[in-house]
Amino acid sequence: MRLITKTTLWYLLLALMVFGVGGWMTYTQVKKEVKRETDYSLRSNMRMLINAIKEGSPIEALRNSKVEIRAIEAPTKPLEPRGYFSDTLALHPSPKIDALEPFRKLTAVRQINGQHYWISIIDVFIESDDMVQGVWRIMTRLFLLLSLVLLLFSFLISRQLLLPFRQILSAISRFDLRKQETLALPTTNTREFRELNQFVQSMTEKARNDYQLLKEFSENASHEIQTPIAVAQGKLELLQSQPNLQPEQLQLLQEAQSSLNKLSRLGQSLTLLTKIENQEFVEEKAIDFSALLQSNLSIFKELITLKGLRLKEHIDPQVRLPINRNMADLLITNLLKNAIQHNIENGWIRVKFEAQQLEISNSGIAPGLPTEQLFERFRKSQQSSASLGLGLAIVSKICERQNIKLRYLYENQVHMLKLNWN
Amino acid sequence: MKILIVEDEAALAANMQEYLGKGEMICEWAADFRLAEDKLINFVYDIVVLDLLLPHGSGLDLLRLLKKSQPETGILIISAKNALDDRLLGLELGADDYLTKPFHLAELNARLKAIWRRRKLQGHTRLIFEEIQLDTETHEVQVKTQLLTLTLKEYELLLFFISNKNRVLSRQTIAEHLWGDNVDFLDSFDFVYQHIKNLRKKINAAEGQDYIKTIYGMGYKFSKT
Repeated sequence: MRLITKTTLWYLLLALMVFGVGGWMTYTQVKKEVKRETDYSLRSNMRMLINAIKEGSPIEALRNSKVEIRAIEAPTKPLEPRGYFSDTLALHPSPKIDALEPFRKLTAVRQINGQHYWISIIDVFIESDDMVQGVWRIMTRLFLLLSLVLLLFSFLISRQLLLPFRQILSAISRFDLRKQETLALPTTNTREFRELNQFVQSMTEKARNDYQLLKEFSENASHEIQTPIAVAQGKLELLQSQPNLQPEQLQLLQEAQSSLNKLSRLGQSLTLLTKIENQEFVEEKAIDFSALLQSNLSIFKELITLKGLRLKEHIDPQVRLPINRNMADLLITNLLKNAIQHNIENGWIRVKFEAQQLEISNSGIAPGLPTEQLFERFRKSQQSSASLGLGLAIVSKICERQNIKLRYLYENQVHMLKLNWN
Repeated sequence: MKILIVEDEAALAANMQEYLGKGEMICEWAADFRLAEDKLINFVYDIVVLDLLLPHGSGLDLLRLLKKSQPETGILIISAKNALDDRLLGLELGADDYLTKPFHLAELNARLKAIWRRRKLQGHTRLIFEEIQLDTETHEVQVKTQLLTLTLKEYELLLFFISNKNRVLSRQTIAEHLWGDNVDFLDSFDFVYQHIKNLRKKINAAEGQDYIKTIYGMGYKFSKT
């Protein structure tokens, strides 16, 4: 639910309560007024009657359905000078309506020209349910009018009022950590939005700085690790050139070198994964993926042959795909290396690229764990010593970044990696 | 051949100096930007081995300086593996070649000699080792008077051996020289053995001597004795 809808609904609920209380107040006020007016008119009628009697009109002529006059003996009680009011129920003055109605009644005893008269006047009192009905009708109409105006207002004004907010939102959604351009935030005189602007500005600035630091750290770390490795490798190389080394000593040297080599590759691969995660390879252009595949394959062909593997290939020519060039290179080499490395003796490799789908299959022994786990870092189906267990992690990370659907299928000693661009 | 090594890591520079010094190279070392600048202004070198990350300045600035003051000097950049942009910029600015850390000293040696041949020995591209003659321009190899037909990899292997003659080369060093990063994942270096076997066969067929000595547990050495 939109914020403006919510506030409007709350306002309406509040208005409903105010209108309820207001209705009750109006009702009591009107009732009081009506009573006063009725009493006033009863009094003036009384005065007119008294005057008429004074002037000698016969009391029979003055009587009617609302007025009753009787000549009486002098009362024992002292006279109430203004008379007294009472509420009563009586038949409706119109004979057609056979219903009891509330009446207001003024009764007085007066001495006029030496004779005491008992005078009583009644007047129809407006029924309270009529009044309630009237107040209710007015209140509901007012409430409806208010609702209508409020809704209209909220939809029209919110568009204008919340414009800066929407602009800030879209600026945030366009924000790119890797780009150095500042956010285009709208200028506004609304305090809340100004505060939001400042907050967004400082947050993005901080995020960018942190990202930059992290990036620098990973680059520096890689560099700093490679240097001591290079030193150690160099020392071993110098050592191996020494004369009179025994075969056992050379064997030890060789093993130390290959471990160092592995350490170095490990550092490089992890840095690479970080770089892909940090989305440092973002530039995307449609490249001739078929040609790239062919050229990478030609580099590996010799190694495939030397390893005694057969290669079957079917590549659709000139298929262009939107992918970062470095990423595509990494993707293909890691897939091919994987297929060569985890193969069997006299095995085979098949590369099929057709209809925006790349399938790289190879013969190999059954994986010791569920295939999707092979995409995790340092997961190896067999402890092949040269494998770092990072190749497929890199492949999977690239596919994730480039929106390529990646699947690992295994059946009957055939491993297949399926990449789908659709 | 006179070489200046510009490298802030003393141990690394010492490795290079010691390894290259055993050959026919004279190596000097500058540990930071200022020392390197000083040396480059005062002396002339055949090749400068340049680390791009230096204290007190950027290797790229030295590269620019060098291109202006000594354009005939060869430049080999060494950089961290991931500093791809710097490396490309270096090549654009006129560096001859680059190596990424960590590298094999034998590889450095071979690259330096290749730069030397390209820059200094114009029209004199014949490498001679006993009865073997190798033309680095036409890629022709001759044993005594007979021309060998070698595959590209066999030619590269022979050139690498002659560039690093009398030095022990591990199978790994050779494999990485021939195939670059693409073999780093392979356990066995049987591939190297296959190429060496073929090369030996071809040289023997031309009645050349077998100079490729197998060093047990390690690799090979190309030497007369």
